[in-house]
Amino acid sequence: MKNSFSRLLVAPLAVLVLGSVALAPLAEAAGNKGGGGGGGNARAGGGGGGAKPKAQVNNSKADVRTNNVRNTSVNNVNNNVNVSKNVNVNVDNNRGCCNNGWDNDYHPIATAAAVTATVAVTAAVVGSIVNAPPPGCVPVNYGGMIYQQCGTVWYMPQGPQYVVIAPPY
Amino acid sequence: MKMHEEARRAVASAVAAFGLCVAGAAPAQQPAPTSGAAQPAANPVAPASIQALKDMGAFLQTLNRFQVTTEVTGERVLADGQKLQHTAMASMDVARPNKLRVRMVSPRSERELIFDGKTVTLFTPALKYYSTVELVDTISGLIGRLQEKFNVEIPLSDLFVWGTPAAPIERIESAMNAGQDFVGEDLCDHYAFRQGNYDWQIWIQTGGKPLPRKIVITNRADEARPQSVSLIDWNVKPTFKDSIFAFTPPKGASKVEIVPAKTK
Repeated sequence: MKNSFSRLLVAPLAVLVLGSVALAPLAEAAGNKGGGGGGGNARAGGGGGGAKPKAQVNNSKADVRTNNVRNTSVNNVNNNVNVSKNVNVNVDNNRGCCNNGWDNDYHPIATAAAVTATVAVTAAVVGSIVNAPPPGCVPVNYGGMIYQQCGTVWYMPQGPQYVVIAPPY
Repeated sequence: MKMHEEARRAVASAVAAFGLCVAGAAPAQQPAPTSGAAQPAANPVAPASIQALKDMGAFLQTLNRFQVTTEVTGERVLADGQKLQHTAMASMDVARPNKLRVRMVSPRSERELIFDGKTVTLFTPALKYYSTVELVDTISGLIGRLQEKFNVEIPLSDLFVWGTPAAPIERIESAMNAGQDFVGEDLCDHYAFRQGNYDWQIWIQTGGKPLPRKIVITNRADEARPQSVSLIDWNVKPTFKDSIFAFTPPKGASKVEIVPAKTK
């Protein structure tokens, strides 16, 4: 029992360590003024001078499973609860996109269907992170969120970086 | 050893008491239902709870200028049913009938929405991108049209529906008073409702200012029952000026096309 548990734990830890080593240059390259060792420092910026930029969220270490969302809560009684006008409560479609409420702008980016589709068409893999979208991309506001559209590839801003997502529409 | 003995005695007497209880309860069970004291109400929609919603709505409609802030905790359900919580914050400056300024802060983004009755602007300060839409309407008209056409949701949009004929009170299938509770320092009346696949609860401040202070919505359509909890703070005597509802693009900001929501 104990043995299998520790073995279970070691594998993901190793992945995490490898992952953070690989990502470290990215975080530095982004020139985040927060300094320090990347994401772990997120809270430290709070006490400084008023003009200091706010700490940015860095989700690059989040497990891909966190993107595989089958449902979300809602926070709006009249629009969402009333079934006749209920357009967006179920995120169960394979795209899992679009507006799930003003607070919930996490867009599932790694659903199996989306990943295979995107890989087939282009080299930009859904879920991969870049410091800046390639030249020639066009910013688009969809569902109140800003994206960068580069032909068939879509980027979503995430902190100082951009992550490739399945097309939002 | 001694403790063992005591424990056994305790168990024995408990069993005996339980036996007595059961024996005693059996004959008493017959007349209990007719007494009616603990029976559920015949009408699942308690009229007084509906009235409390209406009173709150009427009071909200009397507020012409106010500031409201909310902190929401929501949940996402992953493919296997595991739930992840997330939080976000929003603040709104409101001047009825047609001026609104909203700041929405979530881990991923900070956004502003500015509406002067004629034009609505969505601004993302970190990226300095903004989108504008001509939209001559009231605040509630804005909310409906933004949702329908662009799939943009405004925090606490319920606040602008309660107290109007559009409030879908007839859809409530169950309404009950859940007693009183505190939200922060303030005493509130707590009500619970059911409609369709949703259960929701509201805490309305007790006394002369029946303001909604907390709203919990539970989605029963998913067996994991994702839930949102919104805490609400009010300033009903704000000092903002009307100039805050005008948007002037800051230096270096660029305009971005907003794409209407696709229906698929």
